[in-house]
Amino acid sequence: MSSFKRKSSTNSELSYPGTRTAPGNISTAITSTGIPSLDDILGGGLPLSCLLLLLAPDHHSSYGDLVQRYFVAEGLSGGHRVIVVHPNPKEFMADVMWHPKSSSSTTDLEARDTKHEASEQKIKIAWRYESMKPFQTTVVSPSSSTGDYCHAFDLSNRIPEAVVHVAINSKQLTYVGIDADGLDQISIVDMLARLSSLIESSTPKSLLRISIPSLAAPEWGDLSNLQILWFLYSLRSLLRKHPYVCASISLAPQSSTDSWGGQGWLQKLGWASDAALSMVAFSANPSLSSIFPSHHGMVHIHSLPSPHTLSVPSDRFSTLRGLSSSGENNLAFKCTRKRLIFETLHLDLEGGVSERRTAPVTDNIDLNAFAGETGNLHQHLHQTQSLDTTAVASVDVQLEEDEAASKNIPIPVALEEVRQAKPKKKKTVAFQSDRPELYDF
Amino acid sequence: MLSPFNLPEGIVLLITDELNSPADFLLHRSFAEHVKSAKGAKNIVLSVSDSIARWKSIALKSNLNLAQYLASGSLEFVDVSSHIQVPTGRSDQPNLHSLFNIIQPLLEKSDHGLALVILDDISTLEWIGFSLLDITRFTRALRAACLQIGATLIIRHHIVTPGEPDDMFRYLLQICTYRLEVQPLSSGRSGTVSGEIALHSGPGTIVDGQKLIPRSLALQYKLTDNGPTFFEKGTSSGVL
Repeated sequence: MSSFKRKSSTNSELSYPGTRTAPGNISTAITSTGIPSLDDILGGGLPLSCLLLLLAPDHHSSYGDLVQRYFVAEGLSGGHRVIVVHPNPKEFMADVMWHPKSSSSTTDLEARDTKHEASEQKIKIAWRYESMKPFQTTVVSPSSSTGDYCHAFDLSNRIPEAVVHVAINSKQLTYVGIDADGLDQISIVDMLARLSSLIESSTPKSLLRISIPSLAAPEWGDLSNLQILWFLYSLRSLLRKHPYVCASISLAPQSSTDSWGGQGWLQKLGWASDAALSMVAFSANPSLSSIFPSHHGMVHIHSLPSPHTLSVPSDRFSTLRGLSSSGENNLAFKCTRKRLIFETLHLDLEGGVSERRTAPVTDNIDLNAFAGETGNLHQHLHQTQSLDTTAVASVDVQLEEDEAASKNIPIPVALEEVRQAKPKKKKTVAFQSDRPELYDF
Repeated sequence: MLSPFNLPEGIVLLITDELNSPADFLLHRSFAEHVKSAKGAKNIVLSVSDSIARWKSIALKSNLNLAQYLASGSLEFVDVSSHIQVPTGRSDQPNLHSLFNIIQPLLEKSDHGLALVILDDISTLEWIGFSLLDITRFTRALRAACLQIGATLIIRHHIVTPGEPDDMFRYLLQICTYRLEVQPLSSGRSGTVSGEIALHSGPGTIVDGQKLIPRSLALQYKLTDNGPTFFEKGTSSGVL
């Protein structure tokens, strides 16, 4: 027998709808999370039989839930079976986003938007840079050519109730409630047994997604960190036995920080799951949200899936992380009206603020007040006692100015200067072709 | 054993790693080398957190067909998760006795020496609820059983609080002959360097000719699908 054998793929059963083979390894099948940029970070998508854990430590936002909803929506539109484990699954499902209403109108809108933007930012670029691609901070959204891999969703659209009903009736969508009766807390063992029986009962021909938004929320009772890790560990070994299942879990905000589970808690979570990411929202810290006004939070990567390889595929194939060329990029996320985007984080112009200012804001306000008030005072020079007292603080200053003016300082000239110093409302930094000066602020 | 470090056989090797620099590759590498060098010797993999599928596909990269070794009995793969009970936290604490009872006969079967036992993740056992006492008893028994037949024992422990050794780590450090410390770069993830490895000796080890690697001269590596490539500090492809 010849020792040369053609390597034939024995994994013919891998071809579930809505999956594709991972880049770099044909034995790994991956499926989309519903967010193209998150797929990119994971190295193309979430591999089957893997567990994605999302931590969103901010109490006042629910980005973890949002990612779960994308995960569910992608499953439903891809024809996968979906299990939702939630205290109130109906409420959760009611807020799931859905496809854009009619693709033509949205594309029209988007096209108009981009056209509008283009006309607004008509700037001249030095010739040697003109042929370069525009600077991109995220990966492109899926086009229609990607088929049923990653669908386009629109956050302004809700899933139609009919779709949910049909999915429930056809057993495509299964709710698992969290029924902690009375003071007894939910038994992790029972929950695992229920999930296990649901997985066993599903037909292996269809892909199964398990979504658990807010694990360890108050409805779960007082879960200790041992129990959470035991749950993750057992669920993961359950997934390993069933190569057609993948799971996405968000941990409740209070359990998503080191201060809750003790030192090294996030690292433990990273070890206990295949992929673990933190979405740290800026809303908890006003100074951060003012530094990064165009983003809603930072993304920290704890671990990434490598179900069949030594090295993490994402290191080589993720555009956003950019490890293939040099060090890792800083990542952030933003939630626009239409979608949630993960993108690279860059400092803005002048290293920090989005607007470049020529003078501090407070000065401008004073000047305005000064201009208006001095005009008045000039008219009523001898009625200084009946001052317009809308701005008492500025009045004191102006009296002094006025006295100075009475000592033969030409006021009109000063006023002219002040009026010229009036700032324009909108300030942008751009090189404009129709203006001779270099920069227009 | 473990080519760039050339460790002797029959030792207890502790491998510590961190989340950003998992040391899976050292386990797989030592297994592959052992299988190739000592033909017919026994290999026991106690897998707490990894699946057999991953072991198989990684072994394929070094031209090893695990199914063949499993069939011939030279590899015993013990999936620990299916042998342990739920830690309930009540008085009837589960212990790892039952697990050891499964491993012991496997060790006794390997009549000729040069066996290799890999425990791929001891920290997870602690994290999911086994008490430190349970785990130390289990480790002590496992170590004794390995020493009796002259087998090499490799234990991997995850460090989650670098700089502040936990109790488990202190215990493991006492019983190990050598310790391989795998650390990520302190400057963050990089595309050209995956991490660095230092080699320390255990407290009771008599070092004779074994070249240790202090942290300051740690060996750097870059991980690819086919295994790690090692290089001295400052000589990565990104630098040169």
